[in-house]
Amino acid sequence: MEFLTYFADVFTVPAMLLLVGGTVGGLILGATPGLSPTMAVALLIPFTFQLEAVHGLILLGAAYTSTVAGGAVSAILLKIPGAPANIATTLDGHEMARRGQGARALQLAFLASLVGGLIGVALLIFLTPVLAEWALAFGPSQLFWLAILGVTIIGSLGTSSVVKGLLSGSIGLWLATVGFDDILGVQRFVFHSSLSGGISIVPALIGLFAIPQVIAMFAEGRRRSSIEAISVEKHPLSRAVRELLSKLRAVAIGTVSGSIIGLIPGIGGQIAGLVAYDQARKVSPDREKFGTGHSEGIIAAESANNAMVGPSLVPLLTLSIPGSPTAAVLLGGLLIHGIFPGTDLFDNHPDVAWPFINSMLIGQILMCVFGLYVASLAARVALVPKSVMAPIVLGLAVFGSYSVQHSMGDVYVMAALGTMMYFLERFGFSAAPLVLGLILGPIAESSFIQGSLIAEATVGPFAYFFGGALNILLVAIVVTSVGYSLYAELRSRRAARDAS
Amino acid sequence: MKHILAGLVIAMAALVGTVQADEYPERPIMLMVSYGAGGATDFQARIVTMTAGNEDALGVPIAIINKPGAGGRVGWNWFATEADADGYTLAAYNIPHFIAQSIKGGVEYSKDSFEPIANWGADPAVFIVGTESPFNSMADVIAWAEANPGKLTFSGAGLFVGHHIAALQIEKAAGVTMQYVPTKGGGAAAMKAVIAGDVMAGINNLSDAYRAREAGNVKILAVADIQRNEEFLPDVPTMMEEGLDVDNSSVNFRGIMVPKGTPDAIIEKLAAIVPGMFMNSRVLGKMAAGGSPVHVMNREEVLAMWEERDAYLRELLKDL
Amino acid sequence: MTALQPRLASGIILLVAVWVCWISFSQSPAEAFLFPRLISVAFVALAGWTFLRSLLERRIAEGGVTLDLVKSILPGVLVAGLYIFFAAKWLGFYTSSTIAFLVILSLHDPAPHDQVRTWARRLAITAAYLAVMYLLFSVVLKVFTPRGLFI
Repeated sequence: MEFLTYFADVFTVPAMLLLVGGTVGGLILGATPGLSPTMAVALLIPFTFQLEAVHGLILLGAAYTSTVAGGAVSAILLKIPGAPANIATTLDGHEMARRGQGARALQLAFLASLVGGLIGVALLIFLTPVLAEWALAFGPSQLFWLAILGVTIIGSLGTSSVVKGLLSGSIGLWLATVGFDDILGVQRFVFHSSLSGGISIVPALIGLFAIPQVIAMFAEGRRRSSIEAISVEKHPLSRAVRELLSKLRAVAIGTVSGSIIGLIPGIGGQIAGLVAYDQARKVSPDREKFGTGHSEGIIAAESANNAMVGPSLVPLLTLSIPGSPTAAVLLGGLLIHGIFPGTDLFDNHPDVAWPFINSMLIGQILMCVFGLYVASLAARVALVPKSVMAPIVLGLAVFGSYSVQHSMGDVYVMAALGTMMYFLERFGFSAAPLVLGLILGPIAESSFIQGSLIAEATVGPFAYFFGGALNILLVAIVVTSVGYSLYAELRSRRAARDAS
Repeated sequence: MKHILAGLVIAMAALVGTVQADEYPERPIMLMVSYGAGGATDFQARIVTMTAGNEDALGVPIAIINKPGAGGRVGWNWFATEADADGYTLAAYNIPHFIAQSIKGGVEYSKDSFEPIANWGADPAVFIVGTESPFNSMADVIAWAEANPGKLTFSGAGLFVGHHIAALQIEKAAGVTMQYVPTKGGGAAAMKAVIAGDVMAGINNLSDAYRAREAGNVKILAVADIQRNEEFLPDVPTMMEEGLDVDNSSVNFRGIMVPKGTPDAIIEKLAAIVPGMFMNSRVLGKMAAGGSPVHVMNREEVLAMWEERDAYLRELLKDL
Repeated sequence: MTALQPRLASGIILLVAVWVCWISFSQSPAEAFLFPRLISVAFVALAGWTFLRSLLERRIAEGGVTLDLVKSILPGVLVAGLYIFFAAKWLGFYTSSTIAFLVILSLHDPAPHDQVRTWARRLAITAAYLAVMYLLFSVVLKVFTPRGLFI
């Protein structure tokens, strides 16, 4: 309970000002398309140069917490996932917002984030040494199987047919290989100079989700769109709280899978939301409602996203290994003050480490408070006419994808992929599995190559990739997941045949 | 008429050129880092440019832009082919990385595509093993590798980067073959592989390895440089002391460069100001706090160092 | 939609898949194309399966692309394409974004084109958009946008 004594350091005037500033700033940056939590935290690093170590870290901790949750705003209202973490949130969140229930969607998202986030940080406080061992258990072979597991859940995401889902996923896996091969540095599938840098995830995300939507709005032409049909519902907070409490299963699944996945170095935050969404869907009795604006989808995805934040810092704080790009930036924030994370961090610098962690607890609460305030305003976005919305989303997509790397090539790739996705969607394909393929491809490839190199020198490929309890467990889950998907496909086809 | 027009154009261009150098810089400058945010190069670049806005430095801030991918190739390719040569687009270089990559081929740059401005740091490669490892010296490692050819796995941050050069040099000097396992995503992933025991040993940056040792996670067996690092690791021997003929060719030099074609006046102005900016006491303080070795070199010294590395690496890599 | 459309669409995807597979197996060095080979085989198998199913399918799902649809999206897509692939670099990021915004807004705004009030409203919305984008990306995030003839 040592951390309680350091709460005093957080409740000082400068610390609270930084906390509030970091939270509000983080929410705005997180809601900006193209600005991932990593970039947001990196942007704040120069400010921490001027601050005391403890204050600098409070600012960074608050910003990290709130940018992750802020991404939900653009995902829900505009269907632009600002970072991979928010993909799953778009699936149900945007559907709900389109019906005029943006307030409800955002309230659920922020409340779920709060619950997941607090539990995640609590794990960081109480279980760090145990969890650190876990994080190290994932070597190349385990990461490879984990990526494959991700690929197998692709099939059941967002499409009517498992085969079309898997096909979308393999298109994503292929697109991920475009550009320089990460390890050998050989160029692959580059037929235009814009592609030589490869297809970066964030511009691709923006294109695949936002552009089909813009084109769909174009399709409405000059028709007086269905503004009248949408009534913006006022949604009292108490109802959102009750709804969250009635969906404890989704909260639990989101929090547990988010914390476990957040812990694993190298995969973490990008897929936590999608995995939680998929798991929540598989066990829910309302399975078929997912993707149509179902509250469980939002709750699972957002509780997972924020549950990931605390555990993702475990490898950093105990082993000095940044497990995610954001953790790497935070490491920089520690180093400029001469603080080296490691097993004895909490003995040598308790006056910095504990206030930092405490600030993330308080930051979660502040994030939720400000987020709920945003929710009450932002729901009106559904009332904005399509003629205004289409160019706004287009402009944000262009600026957002440019600002990631200051690259026009990324903007071209964004626009081309988005246009392609519009037509693919007309034929029953969907963006989520394609993006998951794009994210998991490089992880699967590099861990496969590293694993093969190690295996070649040691025990041989079979023993390396199939040996050990964790490998066997992961392979078993992969097999179960594939089996379940095939069973579900057969069952739904039989049902369709019986119906006709 | 044509001649008059041509003369006019040349005169205008000359005028614009001088005006540019006098007024330069008049807006913020961008510095491209070809590694991700949070990596060692990014972290150091953010520190050494933090005082750029001071009146005694450039007077305008420098903003860091990351273009990561394929061990730096993505960013440097962009810098060589698309960056404006107007003095407002700078990049961080890593030697020997980009020279080794250009010798290996498949990229659109070589050392002649860029003009160095100044060098801020030199981070030697070190040889590390986990704390539980039976290896306590390079001799132990080499003896095991001789007894088990090709079976000793060791990690490093990619192919044709400083760590890989050090690996090649060690293998060549000891006459053994070992299994080099390149990771992606910089030194952090290679470090994780050593600490977690995925590989038996590794090559990593001195700065990162120093911190990992402070945290009690690794043992550092040797440093691939010609002298010991007195500031951070006075107790760690050099490869030469351990009997391996490995020099400082793998030392990771980091500095700032501009694309070829940038006006000479601007290059001179930057080359005059930037080394002083690196020596700012606040910069030096932050670099020391983070365990990052500083090594400031001016433009002439960097040009000579590039030449020397290029010649050596061509020799080393010609058999690959 | 007609049964031809899904066949055509999945046929195109199958062609892409075969082409990816061919490149993966014919390019060197082999190490660099090992992973593309693995996935391109799966890609071809799945694309082939989808193509076969589209041939067998008699019931026709919703969706598809009709001439009316193409006509309705064409003006917007053309403006967006010109903006992204041409004007952004030639005119400068902010200039081209402003023009594209105003044009797309006017194309789809149901209000009558011949009234001064309509245009005043459109210009006001465009100005507000420009102000927000400039504030967010240029002032707060310090993004260096491409400069063309203008900014």
